[in-house]
Amino acid sequence: MKTEMPLSKPIRRFITQTEELLDTEISLLRQPEADPAGTLVDQYTYDIDTNVIIFPAQYIGLLKDFVIAKHCTHLLMKGAATKLSAYKVCSYDQDSVYRGMRQIYIDALKDEAKKENKLPVQKLIQMLFILFTHFNDDVNEIPWNAINNASVYHRMPKIRKTQLYHIMKESKHDMDEMMEQETIIPRRYFVMNKAMFYARDMFLAKTLPADELMPVLNIPQMKKFNHLEVKEMLTTRWTQTAWYQSKVFGDNMLEIIDKPLGLVKWDEEPTLEYFHDLYKVGVLVTDNLLSYMTMRDWFSWETPKHLITANENKDEYEKKALKKIFGDLLSDVWEDS
Amino acid sequence: MPGKEVQELLRKGKSYATRTKFKDALFYYNKALALEPGYPESLVLRASVYIDTGKYPEALADCDRALSRDSNYADAWSKKALIMFYLERFEDAIQASTRATTLNGNDVSAWYIKGVCLDEMGRSDEAQEAYGKSLELEIILDIQAESKKVRER
Repeated sequence: MKTEMPLSKPIRRFITQTEELLDTEISLLRQPEADPAGTLVDQYTYDIDTNVIIFPAQYIGLLKDFVIAKHCTHLLMKGAATKLSAYKVCSYDQDSVYRGMRQIYIDALKDEAKKENKLPVQKLIQMLFILFTHFNDDVNEIPWNAINNASVYHRMPKIRKTQLYHIMKESKHDMDEMMEQETIIPRRYFVMNKAMFYARDMFLAKTLPADELMPVLNIPQMKKFNHLEVKEMLTTRWTQTAWYQSKVFGDNMLEIIDKPLGLVKWDEEPTLEYFHDLYKVGVLVTDNLLSYMTMRDWFSWETPKHLITANENKDEYEKKALKKIFGDLLSDVWEDS
Repeated sequence: MPGKEVQELLRKGKSYATRTKFKDALFYYNKALALEPGYPESLVLRASVYIDTGKYPEALADCDRALSRDSNYADAWSKKALIMFYLERFEDAIQASTRATTLNGNDVSAWYIKGVCLDEMGRSDEAQEAYGKSLELEIILDIQAESKKVRER
């Protein structure tokens, strides 16, 4: 472990355990502009020799510890998959981009037909690929986020209060996402995006049942949650959002997440095989979510390098897919704009 | 209060230290201490650089010098607690962090170090209390940092 910062005992132990299991090294890096959820830059995803967990500079104590625990858990799943089978992520290629964008376009047209204020064609076209990649990011994130959180909750009771704050914060951020584009995005995709986060939050609310946010009640922003359990806190929030009429999607997705994860024995001995099994559960949850959203032919399981290359080529993929969908009409639109 | 020149040197040093340019930071802190030897803030800032570069005996000497000038200097106690933690002198770290948090109840780092060291000593209940206080303050800092980001946007 490469670090010059104090860490609580269970975290130090967990980092050492991770390094030993994976026979690797983990570095910790504090950065003022880091993502609030922290970032994991690892050897199983990128062509590097070490693993770095980056977190915001203001995380001095337990917030830092929680971010480290979460990313170590993810690293264990990635490493176990690499060592025992193959670590893969949801990626895309030229053809799948076309299928996804075409589907979004058809759905957008249905929505536009009912709207009084039509979306300018230029904006509609731009939205197609943005939405496609947005869903790619989300399916690569949400199932693993749920697993990481559930695992940390069971394995590190001492940082549960910290975890609760983090989840509340993350949930608020995810809930606000896309809200400004609510009138632009086809309803189906807006609802599905929100439903995924809803399902993740409800799963966590169910998994993290007993704790209250007692130590942080002196903070004015947290007072409204006084005496509420996690489940009540998250439910209160979600029931107050505008999209709540589509709750049925969220509840179905919750079932999709909950079914395989409900069978996991979170307290089992943390071996490489155990984390490999956890990885396989994550893959299953992702597949089931993709099926439910009818996006199975949008993404495929590929090596992380495949996704990095796809991201590097995304401008070209988008252009070619647009050409295929709109043909010569497209050049007229570009010229008009 | 130190002279303007010393203040300016400390400001420059801090700016380098934030960017982990410790050699440059040390240069300015040494200059400040040459102008005003024994000024506690300069000593504690230099101790921070020593901690970040793993020179714990030098850091401890600076903290002790600062505390001999001002025994109620909370930051010096906080840094001393951190040094003691790194030297695995947990009992001393608990004492120093207790002193730091008594003088400044809003010192997240001191509460956290206290929790970590109590945990190391097997005093779990007391550790939870210190961790609780540390978390509370850390969340306030986090909320403030997030609000600042929103304002800047």
